[in-house]
Amino acid sequence: MIPQIFQTVPIEHFVYLSAVLFVIGVVGVLTRSNAIIIFMSVELMLNAVNLLLVSFSSYHQDPAGQIFVFFIMAVAAAEVAVGLAIITMIYRNTHSVDINDMSRLKG
Amino acid sequence: MMVLIILTAAGILAMFASVFNGRSVVLPVSLSGLFAAGYFALLEWNTNTTYFEAMRMDNFAIAFTVVCLFAAFVFLLLYHYMHYSSDVHYAEVISIILFSLAGVVVMVSFTSMLMLFLGIEILSLSLYILAGLKKKDLLSNEASLKYLLMGAFATGFLLFGIAMLYGATGSFMLSDIAYYLGLHKAVAEPFIVTGIIMLMIGLLFKVAAAPFHFWTPDVYQGAPTLVTGYMATVGKVAAFAALVRVFQLGFSPALETYQFLFAAVAVTTMFIGNITALYQKSVKRMLAYSSISHAGYMLIALMAANEVTNGAVLFYSIAYTLASLLAFAVVAILQQKSGSDEVSVFNGLSKSSPLMSITFAVAMLSLAGIPPTAGFFAKFYVFSAAISDGWVWITVLAIINSFISVYYYFAPVIASYMKKGNEEGIVLATPVKVLLAIIALLTLLIGLLPGSLSYLI
Amino acid sequence: MLTSAFYFIAFVTIFFAIMVVVSKNPIHSVLYLVLTFFCISANYIFMLDATFVGMVNVIVYAGAIMVLFLYVLMMMNLNAIAEQKRSVLFKISAAVTGGMLLLVLVAALKDANLQIQGSALEAEQRIGSIKVLGYVLYSKYQLPFEVASILFLVAMIGAVVLGKKDNSTKTIGIEPVK
Repeated sequence: MIPQIFQTVPIEHFVYLSAVLFVIGVVGVLTRSNAIIIFMSVELMLNAVNLLLVSFSSYHQDPAGQIFVFFIMAVAAAEVAVGLAIITMIYRNTHSVDINDMSRLKG
Repeated sequence: MMVLIILTAAGILAMFASVFNGRSVVLPVSLSGLFAAGYFALLEWNTNTTYFEAMRMDNFAIAFTVVCLFAAFVFLLLYHYMHYSSDVHYAEVISIILFSLAGVVVMVSFTSMLMLFLGIEILSLSLYILAGLKKKDLLSNEASLKYLLMGAFATGFLLFGIAMLYGATGSFMLSDIAYYLGLHKAVAEPFIVTGIIMLMIGLLFKVAAAPFHFWTPDVYQGAPTLVTGYMATVGKVAAFAALVRVFQLGFSPALETYQFLFAAVAVTTMFIGNITALYQKSVKRMLAYSSISHAGYMLIALMAANEVTNGAVLFYSIAYTLASLLAFAVVAILQQKSGSDEVSVFNGLSKSSPLMSITFAVAMLSLAGIPPTAGFFAKFYVFSAAISDGWVWITVLAIINSFISVYYYFAPVIASYMKKGNEEGIVLATPVKVLLAIIALLTLLIGLLPGSLSYLI
Repeated sequence: MLTSAFYFIAFVTIFFAIMVVVSKNPIHSVLYLVLTFFCISANYIFMLDATFVGMVNVIVYAGAIMVLFLYVLMMMNLNAIAEQKRSVLFKISAAVTGGMLLLVLVAALKDANLQIQGSALEAEQRIGSIKVLGYVLYSKYQLPFEVASILFLVAMIGAVVLGKKDNSTKTIGIEPVK
């Protein structure tokens, strides 16, 4: 059965909500210079996608969308583990996680 | 399926070998794993076996799997001879490479978006780690972080695209999406268009096509040279195969929506890659820009989207992989010897190591697309695919680009033959010598007998 | 009732998400992000009838991933270090880019008319339940499930390789900042 909410709130509004969250994430990636906050903005983008998938999944009454969400969560967790390891490694060498300090590669 | 199991098992064995002081068995285990995987992949030729409705080993998948396995084989051998005694994480690196190959197999054989996503993530995650292998080298650190942030950002776009397509079609299966597109003539449907474009942005990031290429030069330069070679060959070819597969199996009914976008991306990619490469002092960075421009040439074949596309992309991938392997191998060896990757390290190479200078010259000829090397026919097939569909203007631009590229490809070759430098001989391990010679011969052989390779798939 | 609840939650979610991006203190950012995830989970559970996903979202994202972030931030004591300012021009151009992306998305989806695509499930089954999801995950999505384990192996090895301290060599490259 399709959730009651779709009788009063059109699916498009869920799509708009996740588009707004996604764009906030994109702006975060582009404006901040702390590597950890950039990474958090990426997590926000992924959550926007999750919201989108779950809304579509409920709308179509198809479990595949929610399964995909589990995989996104799993991948996000793995990515965070590796990402934070990389950030820690850099912090050990430079005592900074600011991407403005990382412009040694130029050509 | 067997391929995935063998690669994973070999990876796990390699990982545990180092725990039990079995460093010496790591290489034999991983190489035999690669051979077994290749054998089992070829066994499935022409069978089109589908597994769990999630991956299908068709000829396209098998051909690209084998190409990537070969590149990984070369990379593993070189890594062994250059870092066996010096790298603490020798076994871990090799097992990560084997796992990343499992990701490659998934990436070239998927039939559902879920598998595409998982495959891309396995490969990318391995590459983020490999890029940061030199833990105390700030350039390597920086490359790793940049790659991670940009890669994760791109994954966000890819997923948003997949979600939009799911919203419109109600399925993650490529065949269902293609069916929906064909049935509804849904070319202008907003969800479909946004979905396709977002997914395209995500994948173009991964193949490093302009305007999403900006991370490539930094990452390629900062990463350890052998890893750069791995990224530029396996990473690039697998991402490209995934791009071709998703657009061909999934979106071909909506061709007119994205065809022109691909044409524009291809042209910008070629020009940006080739023109910026002219100004590079570092050979590694030059090769990074050259790999960007090669993505542009391959995009032409994808854009043409006719019956020769697959063959042209495969041929181009083979030629590009062989030449890049040679180029990066030589640069890596020279860099280990001299600690620099500037063009000047090539001075006098023809005296200090004739084999290396000859193979490097062959690689550059092939990348520049000069007969009788494989690169010439690769470009020839791509251009003929475009012309047969009437894309003459883009072919003309691509040929102009090939001429531009000749200039920068020849700079290190000229340095190695004309300029005087350190003439102290460079000693190479015999297997490395044999390997270099074999790859160079293959490049020439494919160039002389292009034959049926392009009609394979 | 449910309708106004949706718009209220949506508003709060967006507010928290903006706070994540604009807060100066990274610790505050993490906490706002946790709140954002709670709001999204509320959407899953109360609006979309996806109870299991909602619970997993709280447990995995808010409970595990964000705690990892918090842990790293506190270990580095980063809130003591002021973040370097990016130029105003750069910030404005980034915000404009984001705004344009949003505009394009909204404009593109304005007259979208989404059809419900048929599904194989009977009407009375709730697709968000653990029973249905578990069944689908372990039957139809068996192969992706197994493949995900390779991903975890890579992540595990990678985190150990990169995170381990090795004192063998000195830092090379250009000298460390500060």
